[in-house]
Amino acid sequence: MSLQALAGNRSFLSLLFGALLVLPAFANEYWLFVGNLMLVYIILALGLNILVGFAGQLAFANAAIYGIGAYGTALLQVHQGWSFWAAAPVGAVLAMVIGTLLAFPALRLSGIFLALATLAFAQATQWVLWHWESVTFGAGGFRVPAPNFGWLPVKGDYGVYFLSLAAALVLLLFAWRITRSRIGRAFVAMRDGEIAAQALGIDLLTYKAMAFALSSFYAGIAGALYSGLLGFVSPEGFDLFQMIIQKAMIVVGGLGSVVGSVIGASLLVYLMEILREFKSTQEIVFGCLLVCFMIFQPHGLVVSMKRWLPGWEEPLHLVGRVAADASTRSGSYKGATPTERRAVERA
Amino acid sequence: MLMLSYLMATGITTGAFYALVALGIVIVYKSTEVVNLAHGELFMVGGMLAYTCYVMAGIPYIPSLVLAVAGAFVVGILTERIAYRPVLQHGLASVLVATIGVSFILKGIGRHIWGGKGDYLAFPPIVSPEPIEFGNIMIMSQQLVVLLAAMSVMAGLALFFKCTRAGKWMQATASNPKAAMLCGLRIDRIYMYTFAVGAAAAGAAGVLMAPLTHLYPDVGFVLFIKGLAAAVLGGLTSIPGAVLGGLLLGVIEQLAAGYVHSSVQDVVPFLIIMLALSLLPTGLLGARGLRKV
Amino acid sequence: MSILSVDGVSIAFGGVRALDNVTASFGAGEIVGIIGPNGAGKTTLLNVICGLNRPDSGDIRFADRPIGGMKPNRIAGMGLARTFQRSQLFAGMSVLENMMTGLHLRSRANLFAAALCTGRMREEESELAARAREALDYVGFAGFADRPGNALSFGQRRIVEIARTLISDPKIVLLDEPAVGLSLNRVAELDQLLRRIRDEKGVTLVMIEHVIRLVMGVSDRVVVLNCGQKIAEGRPEEIRKDPAVIEAYLGKLIDAGRAAS
Repeated sequence: MSLQALAGNRSFLSLLFGALLVLPAFANEYWLFVGNLMLVYIILALGLNILVGFAGQLAFANAAIYGIGAYGTALLQVHQGWSFWAAAPVGAVLAMVIGTLLAFPALRLSGIFLALATLAFAQATQWVLWHWESVTFGAGGFRVPAPNFGWLPVKGDYGVYFLSLAAALVLLLFAWRITRSRIGRAFVAMRDGEIAAQALGIDLLTYKAMAFALSSFYAGIAGALYSGLLGFVSPEGFDLFQMIIQKAMIVVGGLGSVVGSVIGASLLVYLMEILREFKSTQEIVFGCLLVCFMIFQPHGLVVSMKRWLPGWEEPLHLVGRVAADASTRSGSYKGATPTERRAVERA
Repeated sequence: MLMLSYLMATGITTGAFYALVALGIVIVYKSTEVVNLAHGELFMVGGMLAYTCYVMAGIPYIPSLVLAVAGAFVVGILTERIAYRPVLQHGLASVLVATIGVSFILKGIGRHIWGGKGDYLAFPPIVSPEPIEFGNIMIMSQQLVVLLAAMSVMAGLALFFKCTRAGKWMQATASNPKAAMLCGLRIDRIYMYTFAVGAAAAGAAGVLMAPLTHLYPDVGFVLFIKGLAAAVLGGLTSIPGAVLGGLLLGVIEQLAAGYVHSSVQDVVPFLIIMLALSLLPTGLLGARGLRKV
Repeated sequence: MSILSVDGVSIAFGGVRALDNVTASFGAGEIVGIIGPNGAGKTTLLNVICGLNRPDSGDIRFADRPIGGMKPNRIAGMGLARTFQRSQLFAGMSVLENMMTGLHLRSRANLFAAALCTGRMREEESELAARAREALDYVGFAGFADRPGNALSFGQRRIVEIARTLISDPKIVLLDEPAVGLSLNRVAELDQLLRRIRDEKGVTLVMIEHVIRLVMGVSDRVVVLNCGQKIAEGRPEEIRKDPAVIEAYLGKLIDAGRAAS
């Protein structure tokens, strides 16, 4: 029994982070970079999943907010001469503030409309990054000085790595706890039954704002770390493809699952690196990944993990109808195609 | 004054294309409540297929046009069968994500076949590049021909919906799928053809616009956003709205470029989407809906 | 003694007058049934009371405070709970978590307490879980605590939703067709449950229902709506014989005669 319990999500996380902890001892510069990138994306995926997976807000602005975090941090260093340690929190908070403002349109818009509005916002942000050359240095991007680790006995690369690892661990812990708390329940309630949630006293504006604030804060931190990692910031890193990658991560891992975010992020970063040379192949593979998961495994890999690993303790916050529901719906209408069934339900 | 009329003329011409793209989006949305996020890529597919037929294979223009539109039609059918029908049971959000997946597949394939980033394909002009003068206004004859073609396509679609049986079936299914089913309509098939017709509209826009602009794999998304802005402005459920929105968008873009700064042109569609959705979520001509509890 | 009153409330959607000058009051600890043909405005009345729609005119008072136009979550905070025609049990949570969500307003952990997992928050969570189990037990569903929210049959969901409304000790509960889809046995059980709730908890129940046997059997008073207007009000026996009510449901007697001849 206890051996079975070992094969669970906690052990998975421990294994992964353990591996990431000792990675610097074995890895060359390139793999250190990849590991660091993985940590950055884990943070991004955690935040995005809170917003999209748990709170059900179909927002497409995360990559832009990520960019605002990166640019904020980098520009404060370059224009104002701040050190990374002062610039990063400010950059993250700036991202959080702007991201939280998106909660207001989220009140009035839902589903496809929110998706489109946030998509437009993201593109507008991209436009600003491209064209406000006096501040953002335009399409070519600019170099950022590496964070100064001063009195600590670490070399630059390793410093950023361990900083990212620490940040990822802390943010993972927060996400884990928040989603299992009253706040997490309020998010899921908002997602699964907005009207009933209100009837239970949940104020939609407060909780939508909270969801946006959390995901934007996570994205902002990720942005700050990314600028430190890369030493270079350009608009290209925060475009639509970037947004799709992040979406793909939480979809593959599992919408509404904290561990799912970690799984999805790690896997996809690895995949991206393998396909690094071939941009068009990257696009095709990501596209296929999204489509296949949507058809066959919309709840992400977490569902399979839960089925195969008996110790996998995952609260039931996954999005959408799981298999148990099929029998309780208008099941008397057998032999119907999905579109026909949906037409009946819609009426 | 001359500049204003020139800007208006250009605005209306480009607006006609946006309207055509927007029409495709609205046709699909009205029927299925889904915005096909791969719609822009269908524009690219149309343009690229036309390029392949006309420029690379030397097929004359009109048959190339037909082939390209047919190609887009087929891709529309494939999209419905891959990203809509099997995914619908999991919810609309999943369909959205699946259509994004399709858009990336198409974009990747496009990039693979027709060139990497930075490769722009130039489509040769179809008529002589000399401008025609209407009083004070100068229009490129190319633009005029293409504008007329776009308008005929729109008129053709309008006739299709009003006068043919298939068109009426699509309207019926869009308005009340349950009743349509009860009347014996195979709504599965109808959804498929709806996607296909929307795709063909985008493909046609791609072919028609090809001589006026460069073709590159990412052009799909750019046009998608513009078509979307037009559709949202006019009202996602309104076909005349799509046309109106397209023309308005084209004109506003040109005016912004002319009177403010040329780079502002790019941000206009985004601002329109954000403003329209915040202030007028049902658009200028769209219908208001109520939620049932 | 009335804890909830609507006074001259009207609301129109597009050209349709969904509610037309409706006045009614609900006292503490009574069960009031709301009946009427389809489209009479019954659900709209509940929507207006609980804050989902703002009335075009008229007053609504709850616990002596005007609540017209207040946000639904604030009204809920004042002690008003409601169930819906379409099941709103949260599919992505277990039944137990659904119940704990019902205690949202009675719990206090904020974002920071949650993130830091303070001792007080942990205590609060176990208290919430305990109360949730208690509330499930009250309706006899203790064994369902760990099932996913969407793994219950339709009838079971309705009962759990009722339990979810009770858990926060509301003063008044609005029920929208609680018996829909229930078999005769279950309807009898529901009848028992509603009486228990009224007698043991002193909660006012306002119930829209089409199952006449249930409504007439369990209600202390009945209000009848038709075409957005209140056409009758009184004890079930009176309502049964009221000509206006009969006409609303069955039409005028004279029409049947004319059709036959």
